[in-house]
Amino acid sequence: MAIHNLYIFDRNGSLLFYHEWNRLKQSGMSREEEAKLMYGMLFSIKSFVSKISPLDLKKGFLSYKTNKYALHYLETPTGLKFVLNTDIHASEVRELMKKIYSQVYVEYIVKNPVCRLDEPIKSELFKEKLDELIKQSSYYTAKIA
Amino acid sequence: MVADEILLELLHAELVNYVCSNEPKEKEPSGQLNKHCNLSTLEYFGFSTGYKLIERFTKDWSRFKDELDTIKFICTDFWTSIYKKPIDNLRTNHQGVYVLQDRAFRFMSKISNGTQHLDAAPLYIAFTSGLLRGALANLGINSIVTAEVQSMPACKFHIQVPRNQMP
Repeated sequence: MAIHNLYIFDRNGSLLFYHEWNRLKQSGMSREEEAKLMYGMLFSIKSFVSKISPLDLKKGFLSYKTNKYALHYLETPTGLKFVLNTDIHASEVRELMKKIYSQVYVEYIVKNPVCRLDEPIKSELFKEKLDELIKQSSYYTAKIA
Repeated sequence: MVADEILLELLHAELVNYVCSNEPKEKEPSGQLNKHCNLSTLEYFGFSTGYKLIERFTKDWSRFKDELDTIKFICTDFWTSIYKKPIDNLRTNHQGVYVLQDRAFRFMSKISNGTQHLDAAPLYIAFTSGLLRGALANLGINSIVTAEVQSMPACKFHIQVPRNQMP
């Protein structure tokens, strides 16, 4: 059980925030490039999923899984995108992501008059509270198999 | 009730923002941008708000015994109705100086939990200093209110009542 890393993108695809907890393998490129790659992939998956779907979609793309990790995706109606990588056994990650959005992002970024919403997040308080929430969650443990 | 709390917070943030951006960016003789020139506008907004608010809050109250009684009212009832919590600590030297300490001041509790953004702190307490001064002024106490922030979100308001004015 582990949480690997978190990306937050805004409506226009720029990376607002990145943090990693248990990441054993780096991508070997700069953070900006990696974020662009990640966003591009998400964008493609989203349009793929909506085009190929035989039924009307309500939530659209939610997550994918490899044999080693699972990527969970949450998009708010305002276009904010949360991407959380966990191990494949983690459950109820959606609830955790909704908490990250409503209890950390809205509380400490949206309600913080010093933060601009279209700029990368620099608030120490936000980082602190996010870390707290992640470490409280039942899936967080320091060791990975 | 959650909605109107956030409304006050956002409106206050925009008030600060508006007052700051409207002010011409004057250069001080030292060449630095003058950041503090607009605090008096904010403080005055607070003053008139406090002056009018206290009229409403005290309509069911009898007269206060003395100055300390008045300050206690400000710390508990007045503060709670605006910031949803009473002042954490009140100190006085019994010679007209009162120190009101709030360990989690609401306008700053979302900004930082330490010294980050400390330079923005004066902007977010000016309104409240005025609020206190206005409230006291309408209760017949002329005072000087200053505020001090060492580490967000805790802050201290110093109320000074000049002694020779008291009856």
